[in-house]
Amino acid sequence: MINTGVVINVIGVLLIMLGGFMLTSLFFSTYYGSEDNLPILYSAVTTVSTGGLLWLLSRNSSKKIGKREGFLIVALGWCSVAIFSALPYLYSGVLPNLSNAFFESVSGLTTTGATVIQDIESVPQGILFWRSLTQWIGGMGIIVLTVAIFPLLGIGGVELFVAEAPGPTSDKIHPRIKETAKRLWYIYLGLTSMLIVLLFLNGMTFYDAFNHGLTTMATGGFSTKNASIAYFSEPAIQYILAAFMFIAGINYTLIYYGFKGRFTRIWKSDEFKTYLSLVIGLILIVTTAVYYFRGGEFERAFREATFQIISIITTTGYVSADYTAWTPVLTLLFFLLFFIGACAGSTSGGIKIIRHLVIFKNSFLELRRLLHPKAIIRIKIDRKIVAPRVITHIQVFLLFYLILFALGSLVMTVILNDFEQPFLTSIGAVATSLGNVGPAIGQLGPMDTFAQVPIAGKWVLTILMLLGRLELFTILILFTPYFWKRN
Amino acid sequence: MKIVIAGAGAIGFHLAELLSKEDHDITLIDTDETALVQAGRHLDVLCITGDAATLGILEDTQIKKAQLFISVTTSEKTNLLAAILAKQLGVKNTIARISNIEHLKDSDQERFKQLGIDVLISPQQLAALEIERLLQRASFTDHYEFENGKISVVGFTLDAACPLNNYTLREIDERNKDFSLRGIALLRGSDTLIPSGDTRLQKGDHLYIATQREYLESARKFAGKQLKPIKNVMIIGGTPLALRAAQQLENKYSVTVVLKSEDRGKKFLEELDNTLIINADPSDVDALKEEGLEQMDAFVALTPNSEINILASMMAEELGVYKTIAQVENVDYTRISQNIGIDTIINKKLIAANDIFRFVRKGKVEAVASLHGVDGEIIEFEVHKNNRLLRHPVKDLHLPTQCIIAGVVRGQETIVPNGDFYFEINDKVIILALPEAIHKVEEIFK
Repeated sequence: MINTGVVINVIGVLLIMLGGFMLTSLFFSTYYGSEDNLPILYSAVTTVSTGGLLWLLSRNSSKKIGKREGFLIVALGWCSVAIFSALPYLYSGVLPNLSNAFFESVSGLTTTGATVIQDIESVPQGILFWRSLTQWIGGMGIIVLTVAIFPLLGIGGVELFVAEAPGPTSDKIHPRIKETAKRLWYIYLGLTSMLIVLLFLNGMTFYDAFNHGLTTMATGGFSTKNASIAYFSEPAIQYILAAFMFIAGINYTLIYYGFKGRFTRIWKSDEFKTYLSLVIGLILIVTTAVYYFRGGEFERAFREATFQIISIITTTGYVSADYTAWTPVLTLLFFLLFFIGACAGSTSGGIKIIRHLVIFKNSFLELRRLLHPKAIIRIKIDRKIVAPRVITHIQVFLLFYLILFALGSLVMTVILNDFEQPFLTSIGAVATSLGNVGPAIGQLGPMDTFAQVPIAGKWVLTILMLLGRLELFTILILFTPYFWKRN
Repeated sequence: MKIVIAGAGAIGFHLAELLSKEDHDITLIDTDETALVQAGRHLDVLCITGDAATLGILEDTQIKKAQLFISVTTSEKTNLLAAILAKQLGVKNTIARISNIEHLKDSDQERFKQLGIDVLISPQQLAALEIERLLQRASFTDHYEFENGKISVVGFTLDAACPLNNYTLREIDERNKDFSLRGIALLRGSDTLIPSGDTRLQKGDHLYIATQREYLESARKFAGKQLKPIKNVMIIGGTPLALRAAQQLENKYSVTVVLKSEDRGKKFLEELDNTLIINADPSDVDALKEEGLEQMDAFVALTPNSEINILASMMAEELGVYKTIAQVENVDYTRISQNIGIDTIINKKLIAANDIFRFVRKGKVEAVASLHGVDGEIIEFEVHKNNRLLRHPVKDLHLPTQCIIAGVVRGQETIVPNGDFYFEINDKVIILALPEAIHKVEEIFK
């Protein structure tokens, strides 16, 4: 039987923490006198008291977390956190409509970065900060944070960790899951602070630096400006952001080894090498294409290409130039990039490079198997044989991903029937939501907001974002009959 | 404390489980990926695939920062080499599991110590000692003494004729005013309970009680157990453990060993002096009866086949043998012994794991013992000065519910405390704690 007590208990803890995070927005709203103090305070009080009530009601339940409880906690936990994160938008009247507020909140937590706010610059500072903070919380995962802080999740924490952490592998960097989670958060916190300081030194205001620091490390992509990063025309700022987006797309385990000075571990990683060469290759191609098609300064072409490539491949979704305005083939290329994603174990979304790597290697080996039917052929990643079970798992993931993409596109095309480019816009919006990227193509390009999408469409995209962030299985499994069976 | 364990088999897994519950940071090494996946799924430990006896793998575990290296793979040579290498790489202490008991000689142990292996553990040797201990205390299945015997903990199974069946502990307490007896742990099926006054005893329960030595005899009578000194012991099986057990027992009891292979028989003959060795199939009931099974006081089944051990012991029990012990390979089966009518099921790997666990704990607390089959530990503390323990009665100390005070020794006096009891300086406190509470208990008493 599923132990509902512990599920409720952990969700209670999650909400209490979320409420605590909300309170930090008060510093900004008070400092800037943006008059959104009360809505934020009310939201925080509602969240903390609901969480506290859930926690109180279930505090005596057994603390045993099995596989089922793990999945349920992560799926329901994320849904409840998303609902309560929408409260500041609702209470403050920034987004009075529930669908819009929930879309914005999920887009934040899943680090997608698609927005329904038309005029971002008119949003009060407190709420705007909360918007950025949701991305930062969602980037590393609020449950990983809970595992790090609360002792209650000893062994069960492993199940939670696996269900929430992005990517097919979850390496431990310390024997204890709690310590592993702590170290990940320290790295996250450290890099974020470093970025904030760098941005501030290079001319951003403190407020902008803080917000962009949070959303860059989360590979989120919410900006405080309507024009996104294009507003900050200073090349240094754009290069710094590009560099940190790239870092945020690296597996945090590798970053940890980097900090520890164990660089051989990094060079041994096939995924990192692929990530690096893919980014460099794409930058070369796109720079050449932009320079060739548009002309103008080479540095500008290089900077814009680099920034856009890294922003999309890491699923951040910042914009410093409109990639749909360059040339059709580049639009298509960026659409395909929605499906790539960066490294597993980073804050990025999408399918992730490790999965592509395994599938590619396996597919090519299949050709070799045709020639040598009796050969013993296994694919290796990081010089280790990949177990057939893992390969199947990844293939199934890709299949589900594409099925969801196809179904979602069908539904969205119906919903966006009245648009000028319903087909292009739909597939772009679905791919970008599922991959947690942010901007799409067609009429939802880098310069547009999602406000124009009808209500039904917003809900479809919201669900896709959640599915994408929790890597499909965690949510899909809840809809299987096996999950609810006694055994 | 950071501990590296090589070998994720039964001993390694069990040890990792015990130690990780105690807030140690465990890294497990094994060549078998499936065993590691299993361990990683159930325990909060770091798993590394590879051969423990290679420097690269050991360095991967950051062994120089570890305090303890425990090598318990099935290969003795791997264990010895891995322990030596680990010591070279800077680990503080090493433990290696061996199968050849020759190494246990004092002079040999000294040499191994010079090589860097601090402690040698032989599961066979430990199991043989355990069998001897079990036979010595035949009416109670387990017996532990603390503070020079001022407090004893004994365990016994409630059989159908036991007068305690269907009474709660409070009712039992009210019936005997003349001595104090405290139920500290109860094994029911595979669960370990800490009994309260309202716990009602059932047939088949295995109860552990704490009492003073002078009351041991009355406790035994009270529990409806008669004492029967053991004279004749039959051991079946030609395993090294059987040989070791026979060596241990032959000078105290009259021992008969039944084994199938004539070659093994000769080997036994070489090593044993006072033992009757019978060449027969241990699963042949008639042959065993012929050799006087019905006259035996104890029957110890140590063949390599767990099923034969269990069935033969049940049969011996049926024929009226007073004490039966069966060695079973599968660790999980050890818990069901009471349910199927065998006095004791032993598992040499479990015994070894518990022994290593006790060794790890030894530095921290004054004395420690783990009860047979119980998921818990008996720990002894001394109440030091300046302790908040002295200011509140026991009931206000907020001890975790998963622990119970078995007794307190104050000078020459032994006390079984109740909720209103106040500790005094230099009291020796004996506590049984389930694994999840051990750490908390330690914090309270340190």
